[in-house]
Amino acid sequence: MGRDLYYMPLGATAALAAVAALVASIGYLRTRNPRFDALARAATGTLLACLAVAILDGCFVLHIASGRWWTWDARLTAALVCWLLFAICLMLRQGADDPSRRAAFAAVWTVFACLDVPLVVATAAWWKPGAALRIEWTWPQFWALAAMALVAGRLIARLMRRWARSQLERAG
Amino acid sequence: MRFFHQVGVIAAKDLRAELRTKEAINSSLAFALVILLMFSFAFDPLADTTREISGGLLWIVFAFAGTLVLNRSFARELPNDCLDGLIAAPLPGAALFLGKVCANFLLVLGVQLVSLPVFGIFYNVPWTRQFPQLLLVMVLGTWGLTVVGTVSSALTVNIRLRELMLPMLTYPILFPALLGAMQLTATLVAGNPIGPGEAGWLKMIVGFDVIYTAVSLALVDTILVG
Repeated sequence: MGRDLYYMPLGATAALAAVAALVASIGYLRTRNPRFDALARAATGTLLACLAVAILDGCFVLHIASGRWWTWDARLTAALVCWLLFAICLMLRQGADDPSRRAAFAAVWTVFACLDVPLVVATAAWWKPGAALRIEWTWPQFWALAAMALVAGRLIARLMRRWARSQLERAG
Repeated sequence: MRFFHQVGVIAAKDLRAELRTKEAINSSLAFALVILLMFSFAFDPLADTTREISGGLLWIVFAFAGTLVLNRSFARELPNDCLDGLIAAPLPGAALFLGKVCANFLLVLGVQLVSLPVFGIFYNVPWTRQFPQLLLVMVLGTWGLTVVGTVSSALTVNIRLRELMLPMLTYPILFPALLGAMQLTATLVAGNPIGPGEAGWLKMIVGFDVIYTAVSLALVDTILVG
């Protein structure tokens, strides 16, 4: 799994999206500007997509290597817990009716989830020390990361534009 | 001092309300017993392997039973608009939150202290050999559970599928604290004290408690007012 081309760039892109979601959530809590909420929502969606593909990639690579579809390896476990943390954030959005409460709750939960990410990664590495999180970057992985970061940025921009259009339609 | 007096007033109010009706604590205790019974169907309760996984089993019981107490924490304030009254009362949101956390902590710890000997009897686990350290782990783990659970209770009190959302919010975020508590409890139940090898888990739980208590106190006004 250490030489796979995709999972590390996907994980790094998800981490970038988490930082974007955290910054946007703090921005929303400070200013109550709905643009920050749209950015946080788009970044969370991008993060979930990247992590889901990373987890699936891990499963396929593991299946090819050992015939099993899942192992409680530190990386897969940490990725799964982080995916759940942010998926619940989207569910929390769906549960609240009032848009301002929805945005505030999601921002609070994003802050909570982002604080948990380093703890989850450290705990998973302690739990399964044999499969510690190794960082072995190669040039193809850097290029893959750059390409995925571009795609993620494009996706976030597109989701934000869609939000702005829906706001305009609602106002007009 | 005024802040801690307000915390005490809220905690005493919640404890008094719960001890009068006993609805959360009774259902939580009954649920803990049912889970302990269900585990015995899944594997041989008297096998040696049960002792090895006892930490995990015990904390699954604590987490599931604790959720029932936490679910009622803010939900009991909904009839007669009591929650609006509490939010409008001349006390900071942090005092309201911390008071509820303290009341929930005592209730969940009470449920745990009742279910621990029952677990020991049912599964033939000698849990008393390192009891002071086990109590420390239970106190630290339960504080994390109640802080995150009370925040989740406040977040979900006015949304759809409240009862479903609370455990879904609480358990994934508790992963570091629960995993640490499970590892330490398994060591202590086996009769071994917390050594240098396990001290990292203890630090992890303490760090988790400090971080989430501080952040919850900072953000609780946003959660309550929106």
